[in-house]
Amino acid sequence: MATPIVETVNLRKTYMLGKVPVEALQGVNLKVEKGDFLAILGPSGSGKSTLLNMIGALDKPTEGKVFIEGVDASTLSDNALADARRKIGFVFQFFNLIPRLTARGNVELTMTIPGLGRDKRRERAEELLETVGLKDRMDHKPAELSGGERQRVAIARALANNPKFLLMDEPTGNIDSKTAREIVELVKKLNEDKGVTIIVVTHDQQIASQTRRTVLMIDGSIVEEKVN
Amino acid sequence: MKTSDIFSYAFGAIRLRKLRAGLTTLGVVVGIAAIVALLSITQGLQTTIGDQLQTGFATDTLVVSTGRGFGMSPGAMIAAESDFELLVNYTQIIDEIEDVDLSVAVIRKPGYIKSGEREFLLTVVGVNFAKYADIYSRTFVAERGDISLNPENETVVIGKRISDPWKNGTIFSNVDEVVEITWTNASTLPPKNETYSGHVAAVLKEIGGFGVGGPSDTNVYIPISQAQSFFGIDECDMIIVQLENDDDTTIESVSEAIEEAFGGQVNVTSSTAVLDTISTIFSTVELFLAGIAAISLLVAGIGIMNIMIVSLMERTREIGILKALGMKSRTVLSIFLSEAVIVGLMGAALGIASGWVLANVVARVFTGGGFMSAGNQAAAAGGMTITPVLTPTVILGAFAFGLLVSVIFALYPAWRASRLKPVDALRYE
Repeated sequence: MATPIVETVNLRKTYMLGKVPVEALQGVNLKVEKGDFLAILGPSGSGKSTLLNMIGALDKPTEGKVFIEGVDASTLSDNALADARRKIGFVFQFFNLIPRLTARGNVELTMTIPGLGRDKRRERAEELLETVGLKDRMDHKPAELSGGERQRVAIARALANNPKFLLMDEPTGNIDSKTAREIVELVKKLNEDKGVTIIVVTHDQQIASQTRRTVLMIDGSIVEEKVN
Repeated sequence: MKTSDIFSYAFGAIRLRKLRAGLTTLGVVVGIAAIVALLSITQGLQTTIGDQLQTGFATDTLVVSTGRGFGMSPGAMIAAESDFELLVNYTQIIDEIEDVDLSVAVIRKPGYIKSGEREFLLTVVGVNFAKYADIYSRTFVAERGDISLNPENETVVIGKRISDPWKNGTIFSNVDEVVEITWTNASTLPPKNETYSGHVAAVLKEIGGFGVGGPSDTNVYIPISQAQSFFGIDECDMIIVQLENDDDTTIESVSEAIEEAFGGQVNVTSSTAVLDTISTIFSTVELFLAGIAAISLLVAGIGIMNIMIVSLMERTREIGILKALGMKSRTVLSIFLSEAVIVGLMGAALGIASGWVLANVVARVFTGGGFMSAGNQAAAAGGMTITPVLTPTVILGAFAFGLLVSVIFALYPAWRASRLKPVDALRYE
């Protein structure tokens, strides 16, 4: 059997909220295979964003292990973590685009990090923006784009470095329902047509219903797992 | 990330905050401009004085004096207390010394020269024209008229700027004109003005410099015998000694021989020693001024640090995004340092340019004051033109300094930016 793209083993994370320790994750075990489309559901404070941060190599666990393509991310140095993040495509609730760069610039920026040449990254950025339906909006800055358009740019940016998987944190949390449906369609298409592995953290049942698999988190633990 | 991409990203960030970046750069510009202006003016002044000393004061000459009024060495104080007098005919003693080519006695007195209605206070110099012209063959040269080697008592030779004091063709006195020379004899009671009429035989060509004992554009020259009888003295202010050559050993041996001949009662100063002293003084002044200018650059550095810390706070989320995209800490550090490098380079370039302009303006203001505008003392200064000197060393140094200050003060903010944890940075509001 192939190595899972992501695997967490007894993952724990404890934060200090002032002087009070908060156990955000209490022993999470999760496996994500290549081509999977997984939704992590749960109420606010259930620890789903914390789990996403661990899987995305943005933060280190207090205990337990996170394997990204079989490599234990919890033991990696800061530099190696940065390298690991290049294999992951992030899509955030608040888009997190660089305001001074155009849509194309934002997508290209991702490719400058591994040092891709100007022509190649321009070509790929245009191709990706076309895929997400923003062919005519490439030279607009985020402030000139609607919420849905910004999220599309964010998705194009996440795909730029051919990531092993996409991590989406409430991707429809900040856009209207019609646009949200379009985004869900786009993401679903990416998974079905291009085989992109997707992990999405959401409140949105609409997204959850479109995924292959959902897990429900409550109080830092996975309490339910369901194949759709 | 490629270096070009890092700089391009940093430049984009600077362009976004033009006013802020402009003000930060201005801090560097002011600091660098101050340093460049001060250094180029002092270097220009040094070069000018050095050149002028060399013009009016050849390297193969020595100046013998009692030290009264021309004291460059500690011995001057001792000499000043004795009643030793340096007499005009002591040149005969000096001429006997080995390696001495010839020597000439110089009498200098403040006096008035009057032509028509105008009268100027300046220095009347009595010398043996033939010998003086021999020593200063490049500068004691007539532009108009002739310097008679066997002058009549009434013969007067005037410096270029006495003939044309305003440098605009308005002639105060010219060849073949009669001038009245007056000095105040203070040895009588009450002091008495003594006057005689001189005949201008020659106007010197422009020297543009000054020298201890050497010809000057603002002096009036009369024959030594006339000076002796007119001023009623046999004592001279100095004796200029021309050597056979300007070897250090010759300078030293002749200096010693002269001191010995007069029982250690005289000071012998070589032009090289004067140049050395002046150059030492200038180095000190230069260092001091550069130090003051450096303080302004330090302030600029603190400004850079302040701005970068503010910028870091504003861009925390951006840093989080960059790190989430897989950017390494050292790349984040490089981006912030590149911004400092850009600010430093722009500041240095603009600073060098404005410093150069400033130096020229200051030099013009200082040298613009015409002869006679502030009395006799201004005359000497008025004859000197400061040309600011911008050496490659100063340019390179200014660039390096501007860059160094920017980068050093940006190090801490840049380091802090690079240390941000992506998860915290992304959460930053």
